[in-house]
Amino acid sequence: MSAVKKLLNIDPRIIYALVFISLGFPILNPIMMPMAIQSYSQQAFEFSDNIPEGSIVLFEGGLGAATYPQGGPGMVVQIYHMLTKGVKIIFFSIGTEQNAWTMTAIETALAKLPAGTPAENGVDWVHLGYIAGQEAGVGSLVNDMRATLSADYFDTPLDDIPLLEGINDASEIEAILWWGGSEASIPYGIRQISEPFGIPITGMCTTNEVPNFSPYISSGQLTGLFGGVRGSAEYEYLLDLPGPALGQAMATNFGGLLWMIMVILGNVLYFIDKMGGES
Amino acid sequence: MSERMYKVQIPIYLTALLGILMIVEHFFPMPVVVTGFNTTIRSFVTVVSAAALMLGVCFLTISHVRTISQQKSQWYYSIFFIISLAITTGLGLMSVRNESFLWIYSNMTASIGAALYSLTAFYITSAAYRVFRARNWSAGVLLFTAFVVLMMLIPIGAIIFPPVVTIGEWLRSFPSSAGFRGMIMGTSLGVMGLTVRVFSGRQKEHLGLREERTGDQ
Repeated sequence: MSAVKKLLNIDPRIIYALVFISLGFPILNPIMMPMAIQSYSQQAFEFSDNIPEGSIVLFEGGLGAATYPQGGPGMVVQIYHMLTKGVKIIFFSIGTEQNAWTMTAIETALAKLPAGTPAENGVDWVHLGYIAGQEAGVGSLVNDMRATLSADYFDTPLDDIPLLEGINDASEIEAILWWGGSEASIPYGIRQISEPFGIPITGMCTTNEVPNFSPYISSGQLTGLFGGVRGSAEYEYLLDLPGPALGQAMATNFGGLLWMIMVILGNVLYFIDKMGGES
Repeated sequence: MSERMYKVQIPIYLTALLGILMIVEHFFPMPVVVTGFNTTIRSFVTVVSAAALMLGVCFLTISHVRTISQQKSQWYYSIFFIISLAITTGLGLMSVRNESFLWIYSNMTASIGAALYSLTAFYITSAAYRVFRARNWSAGVLLFTAFVVLMMLIPIGAIIFPPVVTIGEWLRSFPSSAGFRGMIMGTSLGVMGLTVRVFSGRQKEHLGLREERTGDQ
């Protein structure tokens, strides 16, 4: 077997090892490099930054174990951003697993807040917990909160939560922040809340899902979007709050470059092999 | 009243009536009595969905118990399932904020979930090296587009080759967006067609009546 053929049939474990090194090294040794901000992330950031102080926003936490590493850091920054601006947040999740991860993000953000920032549970934020029924559940929640659930994540009755006083539907909501991860649920927010109540929406999804939602951004139904770990890193960069996403974004640099090198190498070897065969 | 009336016709009438009420409310202003009724029905969905989740767990357990009792292929994995289900359900019923429950979740479920998802990076790179070839013009265009979009997505891409951001964002905002818009509209039209079929009783799969389909048409 020629050297070209041998390289074309390289043991996949060697490729796996290269991927492991290219992803692991930058995470273990973070190097900060300048980064260009994508237009979708810039729009989403400006949208969040322009939410007036004292507003109430609805926040869907849709990150699970698989997607939290890429979206979690950005979600933490979004919560931090809102609470430091004096924006009140109503959290909920449409997945059971996501429900717990939303609480993890809230706790992480609370731990990062500067001393003295108002962030009292029930007053400045509330986590409603898991809402069953997917899109229909969302529709039910925003039309009649108390008919949909009776208590929040901590089993506190809704009527005992100061933040929810006088709120039973989405009419008091100023903005929607939909951190859908890979749930593909952003259209639920657009169809059930944004359009019927006339509330602007932005959010986050995994990198591979960004093209699915680009039509909504083009049409103005969705104001920007944070895509994957890059989106999270850009949010950390824009808010000047460096965190794990910036380190992970550097790992995507190395991983992406390795992918491109491997594909170029594969094509070069393929053509050499093909020319050799033809001659 | 015949059995068919109970099992087929009444569910179809109910589906059509409630569905039409929901659709009409979305497009036209309706009296409070209708909107109130629709809100109540929507709140039922959350209860029914939660019940469906429980039903799913029950059926899954029955299936695994059957696998064990009949000693089907790899039946021993079913024992792990039953034990895991019993432990996590027991702890979860005590409280989902219970320390042991959270420990199981954080150290087992979460780690396995994240690990499985991250495995795709390894397989994608290996597969791309082997099969992503510019064998013809169309494959070459696909390869070029993939490079541009990936260069745009990796933070260092814009530093290596700045125009990649403009080209990549144009690709994402126009050709890709147009394609996805077409797909969304096509799917929506399909859903509308399916809705009409369900409301008119031509589609009965949701009632578990697949065998009647050909006979009715």
